[in-house]
Amino acid sequence: MAREGAGCGLTQGPKRVILPVVEHGFPLRALVVGAGIAGMQAALEIANAGYGVVLVERLPSIGGRMAQLSETFPTLDCAQCILTPRTVEVGHHPHIELLTYAEVEAIVPEGTGFRALIRRHPAYVNWDLCTGCGYCQEKCPTRVDAEFERKLGKRKAIYTLSPQAVPNKPVIDQEHCTFFQRGRCRACERFCPTGAIDYAQEAQLVEVEVGAVVLATGYELYDLSRMPEYGGGRIADVIDGLAFERLLSASGPTSGKVLRPSDGTVPREVVFIQCAGSREPERHLSYCSKICCMYAAKQAMLYRHRVHEGQAYVFYIDIRAAGKRYDEFTQRAMEDEHVVYLRGKVSRLVREDGKVIVLGADTLSGRQVEIAADMVVVAPALVPRPETRRLAGMLGLPTDEHGWLLPLEPNLHPVETIRPGVFLAGTVVGPMDIPETVAHASGAAAMVLSLFSRLTRAAEERDG
Amino acid sequence: MARIGVFICHCGLNIAGTVDVGRVVEAIRGYPGVVFATDYRYMCSDPGQALIQRAIAEHELDGVVVAACSPAMHESTFRQAAAAAGLNPYRVEIANIREQVSWPHQGEPQRATEKAIETIASLVEKVRYDEALEPLTFPVTRRALVIGGGVAGLTAALEIARGGYPVLLVERAERLGGHVAQLSHLYPTLEGSEAHLAPLVEAVTSHPLIQVLTGAEVVGWEGQVGHFTVTISGLPSPVDVGAVILATGFELYAQQHLPEYGGGRYPDVVDGLQFEAMLKAGEIRRPSDGRPVREVVWVQCAGSRDPTLHRAYCSKICCMYVAKQAALYRRLVPEGQAYVFYIDVRAQGRGYEEFVRQVMEEYGVVYLRGKVSRLVERNGALEVWGVDTLSGQAVRLKADLVVLALAAVPAAGSEALARLMRVATDESGFFAEAHPKLRPVESFTAGVYLAGAAQFPRDIAESVAQAAGAAAKVLQLFARKEIVAEPTVATVDEELCAACGRCIEVCPYDARAMHPWKALATVNAALCQSCGACAVACPNKATTVKNLSPEQVLAMVEAML
Repeated sequence: MAREGAGCGLTQGPKRVILPVVEHGFPLRALVVGAGIAGMQAALEIANAGYGVVLVERLPSIGGRMAQLSETFPTLDCAQCILTPRTVEVGHHPHIELLTYAEVEAIVPEGTGFRALIRRHPAYVNWDLCTGCGYCQEKCPTRVDAEFERKLGKRKAIYTLSPQAVPNKPVIDQEHCTFFQRGRCRACERFCPTGAIDYAQEAQLVEVEVGAVVLATGYELYDLSRMPEYGGGRIADVIDGLAFERLLSASGPTSGKVLRPSDGTVPREVVFIQCAGSREPERHLSYCSKICCMYAAKQAMLYRHRVHEGQAYVFYIDIRAAGKRYDEFTQRAMEDEHVVYLRGKVSRLVREDGKVIVLGADTLSGRQVEIAADMVVVAPALVPRPETRRLAGMLGLPTDEHGWLLPLEPNLHPVETIRPGVFLAGTVVGPMDIPETVAHASGAAAMVLSLFSRLTRAAEERDG
Repeated sequence: MARIGVFICHCGLNIAGTVDVGRVVEAIRGYPGVVFATDYRYMCSDPGQALIQRAIAEHELDGVVVAACSPAMHESTFRQAAAAAGLNPYRVEIANIREQVSWPHQGEPQRATEKAIETIASLVEKVRYDEALEPLTFPVTRRALVIGGGVAGLTAALEIARGGYPVLLVERAERLGGHVAQLSHLYPTLEGSEAHLAPLVEAVTSHPLIQVLTGAEVVGWEGQVGHFTVTISGLPSPVDVGAVILATGFELYAQQHLPEYGGGRYPDVVDGLQFEAMLKAGEIRRPSDGRPVREVVWVQCAGSRDPTLHRAYCSKICCMYVAKQAALYRRLVPEGQAYVFYIDVRAQGRGYEEFVRQVMEEYGVVYLRGKVSRLVERNGALEVWGVDTLSGQAVRLKADLVVLALAAVPAAGSEALARLMRVATDESGFFAEAHPKLRPVESFTAGVYLAGAAQFPRDIAESVAQAAGAAAKVLQLFARKEIVAEPTVATVDEELCAACGRCIEVCPYDARAMHPWKALATVNAALCQSCGACAVACPNKATTVKNLSPEQVLAMVEAML
């Protein structure tokens, strides 16, 4: 039996946004854009201090990239297990107004704060009526590739991202829905026990006044199609790091079994390629993506836990394991799990007789290496999400040449921006791992809290 | 007679796919004291919670058992729902029939169903004896203590003060600024360090809410979150604070520990901070004879990444500061040659990779991949013996000056401070964070937060962000005037207590103490974590944990057997 995850039935109750407003009308409420681990952390820090938060997420449910991960380095804690209490807390928080499946349409400075216009996409499901029972997803006849599963799994045309979704409310993907495309079907509508399906639902615009903005729009992976040297995304058994996370994940498309996408067999030899698109100023991107060394070591280790007789190889330039117990962790991968680390770059991947031939160099021995792998996991560069640039434009914030948002100053002001009241949290400023992201997001929240707290304290003192 | 309601969650198929929920409802309906039992697909959903609330009213329930997932997930959800319906939340218990029943027994539905019934019966017994309790509240002293006046401590202090709360900043040295004050320039911008540090120090020292104590140390410590009483050297009386930020930073591993690199005997082998001082002075000369320096060799990972002899961990900051120092040296001495021995170049941060590339290509610094095995002095000249692992060749370089990038270790005295404050440290002596992924700025001690390299070596940008994060925790705590705590703590029956003191010995949280004048052991409810160690140790059974009394536990066990 496929196991559904934790927090399954959680639904969103009617929300009450508490808006303590001081005398001059400054709204003590923050807008947080992006509900990955950074946005959630910032939102919780602010909300737990008693201030209001409007948390906007592009996807139908919260959790971001971390929700896609299997286990986390260096402790191998299950990502979903440590994340779910957070998503549940955010989903239920009386001071957090959660707007998922929504995007910021405009932000303009107003008075000492900002006015934001948020567009909620139509889910075609009345979330107030929906109980999250899931019958609609069972009955929907249309199966499409699931983006959440990096297209290694399927979802229905009416779907939630995962069984642990918060909020656990489905949306209809109009593009693939038989009713929207051909005017018939209505299966979800017929089977919905609460009559929540609403094909006529329209986008909604929400206007909010806020005193501060935290941007936490995260990252994307550099697309394999941009790297012809690694098959350009056309070799089925060459997948990216996030796709491999889904294969490793107990709630993923293979229930945690490592199977080749091409034929469903267990790969006996897996090659991990680091710095795919990173540290390549001539062809791709100049910067280091920071997190790949650690996640590749973890993935190689987890692969070995799943396939005991399997052999893992990691091609690297430098092993960048700088963090508490990180170096020790990569040592364990090499020594306990016999992961073979090859210092060098892979020049080409070629498909041959159901194998992927990895052609590379081992710069330590100075020899050419050729490995006939069953599967290749590429660690593509991290790149900014497209909406980051759009938000930067609206707020007049500078980005670097790659599109990452620039903090006010790199060393002593890492979460502030040139615009007072706008702060940055997590990978919106560039690649960083989860602990750094969480600390960074708390740091962004500190700026909001010190701003709001100053005003509250002033009011407290005035009122005695 | 008890009026207990039992609510069994299917959790979709998570529970109902293995456990025969219908049978469980039937079995538990007949259990003594159970007046209502039902099941629902998702009890945590809004309709599920409404169902519980309706049943409380309709059946006049005085206790509730929700059989669902782990209490870690939704205990508070269901307690809040019950409280809203007028039932005391401490008379709501969770029977975990998912993590402890349906998941581990997926292949054996029969046994899983029986175990679910027994588990629920056991919790019904617990509820039967549960007292209706009220949460405890404690006042918060809204003043913070920041220990350490480097960039992390300065940032944390400033953010808290900006939020309107007084801060006491204690620095052991005579001046503020920590290690950053010792640096010449910052990477990757190569801007002067002083220009960035000075405004921060100025903002802190001139802030009306920040009291700075330099040349001072914390010497006495008691209390708990919201109310710590701290004794500080140089202050006439102890100070009350509500929260503490530990920002004690790092120091360099002593050269004496590295005999392979001369063990501190060679004057022309310096550490990274000594080289910063030379850069700051604008002149690079050999310490031994004051002659100009033509060949400088940097040795990375000196004491780091060396689990057999030294420190197992990577010190994180060295790769970047070495690149910076080599670049600055080449700028200062264009005719000089710079070599860097490294294992891996760890340039992870905005512009870091590009910076190192620039140092290699534009500043002409020669990077050699390999570990330096020895430093030897021959006829007054230093020789660096190493291997270039890329060419496989042994390398011997003559050097006028060798700079060791020594491991970053916890600041001296941080271990004593950890003991005094009873804050956990990790295997390397750095302060331990409450969770490596999701609680990086919290210690295991409530009200004590971590900032900067005291938790693990990290560079300025990361220290500052983390310090602000620690300040967020303090601002959050101070936003409430009171701390609310669980009332399910240890209590003492005065009649039975013999004041033997065994509870005090076994309590891991220092929550137990002797009454100041009575022959009686007391409980500090703010510190008690309800672990029950004292209840077990008490020979007279004078100590019990609220809502976990011996009668309750025996009744629970009996229901399981």
